[in-house]
Amino acid sequence: MPAAPHLKPVEDTVPMVHGEVAIGEDLEFQRRWWRFERIVWIAFALIVLLDLLGVFGKGYFAKGHIHQGPVEVKFERVERLGTPSIMTIHFAPEAIHRGTVQLWVSESVVGDLGNRRIIPQPESSTVGNSGVSYIFPASGGRSSVLFALQPASPGVFRFALRVPGVNEIRSRVVVMP
Amino acid sequence: MAAILRAAFGYCFLIFTVRVVGRRPGKQMTPFEFVLIFFIGGLMLTAMVGDEASLTNAIGQIMTIAIMHYGIAWLRQRSPRFASMTDGTPLVLLEKGQWRIGTMFNSRITDDDVMAAARDKGLSQLAQVEYAILERNGEISIVSGDR
Amino acid sequence: MATVLHAVFGYFFLLLTVRILTRRPGGQLTLFEFVIVFLIGGVIILSTVGKDRSLTNCVCAIITVGLLHQSVSWLRARYPRFGVIVDGTPLLVLDRGKWDTDLMKKMRLDENDVMAAARSKGLTSLTQIKYAVLERNGSISIIQAEASKSEA
Repeated sequence: MPAAPHLKPVEDTVPMVHGEVAIGEDLEFQRRWWRFERIVWIAFALIVLLDLLGVFGKGYFAKGHIHQGPVEVKFERVERLGTPSIMTIHFAPEAIHRGTVQLWVSESVVGDLGNRRIIPQPESSTVGNSGVSYIFPASGGRSSVLFALQPASPGVFRFALRVPGVNEIRSRVVVMP
Repeated sequence: MAAILRAAFGYCFLIFTVRVVGRRPGKQMTPFEFVLIFFIGGLMLTAMVGDEASLTNAIGQIMTIAIMHYGIAWLRQRSPRFASMTDGTPLVLLEKGQWRIGTMFNSRITDDDVMAAARDKGLSQLAQVEYAILERNGEISIVSGDR
Repeated sequence: MATVLHAVFGYFFLLLTVRILTRRPGGQLTLFEFVIVFLIGGVIILSTVGKDRSLTNCVCAIITVGLLHQSVSWLRARYPRFGVIVDGTPLLVLDRGKWDTDLMKKMRLDENDVMAAARSKGLTSLTQIKYAVLERNGSISIIQAEASKSEA
């Protein structure tokens, strides 16, 4: 035996306009909503502006540039998750000793920042001192090494680079989600 | 885990954006607005999936969105306050031969839009419209004058 | 930064393509038109996002599209002439028993489309229609002749 349906008499529960058309308008709420909408649009415009300037990566403000003696590092201070980018290290002739350039990078470059490829291929790579040491053959003159990075997780990561005879280069990279 | 969070964020952000971008879907939706929905939806989709295009990931994200959608529908039914947040309230655009200028402008509705809805009802003049109401789903409903 | 510019370009390109390509989704959205709209949207998305599938990138793109859409709606409400460019204008295809054949050919509309709209209004013959208007969203509105109204 099915249960009897639960019934309730129909009443005029929806508010009316001029007592004839049931609409249920809430103009007070809507005014507040419009104000809120305007604030959101301003915030959105700001976000787009910041993005155009590169605060969230890939733009003017995201360019990192460190000059330390004969070594010059160019990198993205703000990276994006899973998106390829390039860190370039330029060596002036003074950094080249006996036809090679030695470079130690902290583990975070290989791990957190997701180093995928090094151009040119290093002659040798050695692990140790919580990092990796590379030796690149160099023929003199100005030379550069490129690290192709692709971060695998968001966060703020520190990294360090060492070249013999030069102060350690330290910086930070923010990886946006 | 990260995929689930991305799905949850994507869902909330999409609801928020679509709500704020304005409500002119329903019968008034022109082809162009149609494309906009795909555009926004697809952009969010790419971010949600990212590089993890596995089946496990897809199923997890679908579940997340389904649960959140269910949750929001449940909240909407429970609390009228929440319902007006997600859907807005019906708005009077025209009453007894008077336009409500502020409402019209803020909701980006023009007299052409109202007249299009009136024609859909078979009315041939704006004067025959007694009330025009912008419904929560973005449709304009027309109450014609008694004559 | 490139994404924002891509999104702006994509938005206007879509606006242009859809405006030129079709007038009939919405009201009489056929499967074919549905596919086209989906396809165009998808292709533009791919080029907008590129290789950068991060949340940051996509959220910025969405915000850009949202802002653009809002500004276009604002312009549209403010300047009726702009609205005509974006949405088109309603067109009278059947005027008191006379077809505007030229217009119908250009809009790729035939009598069956109008009759379909009339049937959904409960009309059984084209003679009961006084005016038929092709609306901006592609649907057809029917205004009945007075005589048939009193019969019904």
